[in-house]
Amino acid sequence: MTPDSIPQMTPGYRLHPIQDVVLIPEGVLELSGPSRDILLEVDGKRTVREIVHHLAAKYEGADENEMLDDVVALLGRLAERGVLQG
Amino acid sequence: MSSTTRPQSLICEVTHRCPLHCLYCSNPIEMQKMETELPAEVWRRVFQEAAALGILHLHLTGGEPLARKDLAELIQAGHDAGLYVNMVTSGVGLTEERLAGLVQAGLEHLQLSFQDADEARANYIAGTRAHAWKLGLVPLIKRQRLAFTVNLVVHRQNLDRLEEMIALAESLEPNRIEIAHVQYYGWALKNRNLLMPTEEQVRYALPVVEAAKTRLRGKIHLDAVLPDYYANFPKACVGGWGRQMILIDPAGRALPCHSAGILPGFSFDNVREKSLSWIWDQSPAFERFRGDAWMSETCRSCDRKERDFGGCRCQAFLLTGNMEAIDPVCTYSPQHGLMEELRKPVGDELLPIYRNS
Ligand code: SF4
Ligand code: SF4
Repeated sequence: MTPDSIPQMTPGYRLHPIQDVVLIPEGVLELSGPSRDILLEVDGKRTVREIVHHLAAKYEGADENEMLDDVVALLGRLAERGVLQG
Repeated sequence: MSSTTRPQSLICEVTHRCPLHCLYCSNPIEMQKMETELPAEVWRRVFQEAAALGILHLHLTGGEPLARKDLAELIQAGHDAGLYVNMVTSGVGLTEERLAGLVQAGLEHLQLSFQDADEARANYIAGTRAHAWKLGLVPLIKRQRLAFTVNLVVHRQNLDRLEEMIALAESLEPNRIEIAHVQYYGWALKNRNLLMPTEEQVRYALPVVEAAKTRLRGKIHLDAVLPDYYANFPKACVGGWGRQMILIDPAGRALPCHSAGILPGFSFDNVREKSLSWIWDQSPAFERFRGDAWMSETCRSCDRKERDFGGCRCQAFLLTGNMEAIDPVCTYSPQHGLMEELRKPVGDELLPIYRNS
């Protein structure tokens, strides 16, 4: 996962409509902190950088570069677990 | 003492009918007939009740779920209830058109099992020439938008080829690979001597699995359920009795575990008559082995009881004749010696016993 990757949810892996979990074939992955808000932005169209830019506008006072590092790391972990592609 | 935990998954054996005759089949020897199968409208209500109970995953299994003509309707009903719908299938008879219909109805995950890496041996275990068909099905599955798991069922007759089996699974590029040892319930019990792996085989398999996990990390997720016949402590069977899952058999009986039907003196409530929440909170069958009041003093004073919930009741019953006994897998069981008996090598002249219906 890099700032220019275009992440997409893997078919058969999805956010629960209300709970802070991702439904995966063998169960659930618990989400913490802002993970849910970030995953909600993953649409298979925008790059990680674009997603972070969009989110930064929502979280006032956030350092966009710092946020980018965190989001790349989070999405990278989810990709390694098979939740995301791209 | 009603349960403090909420169930997470609902396993529905929608039929016992199946075109295969696997030697390791864990379905009961006396299977439910087609006439007794729950109709779709009852399943629909059950799925709604399951979602209301907080269940997230619906596992459609059997038998072969495809044997039900109304399978797409069942999937749709699960999906409408908001459940994540998984199906465990042999794939036999599945066409691209039908699969597309199932995915459209809401199927999100499909598990296809392979019996060996070698075609002739795989067909021998399945009692059916199914291996080539399954391989042919994989490209059709991969064209659909759904998660795909390859299940490898391992036992004495194929464990020596575990590396080849993993390589086969890997070449099919699934999202997941699941390796499970045969469980000796139902029909499988008849073939136990033929299927029980030797200690050397189990010892060979462990590092093979670990190496594959490392090699596949980030590409394919590998889950392996190891046999507890060679362990010193039992595992938490089904995550603990009446703690995580509900299984419904084709006729609608709700069971706390796949093989609970063998336990004496039990009666299982039927979803035709009772709601799922009543069954979860109040039915005597689900209450029976919750908590620690039923446990022997050994378990009750043992720290591990919060982890294994006293082990498997069916295993305790099958091996000791007493369903309240300490699971004999446990080193602290006075009957732990039984496990050694089971592990003793048996001759190679054993013949397979197939189900003929
Ligand atoms: S284990 Fe084999 S025979 Fe038994 S239900 Fe599954 S596919 Fe059919
Ligand atoms: S004594 Fe009972 S609770 Fe303790 S490890 Fe053995 S089976 Fe589990």
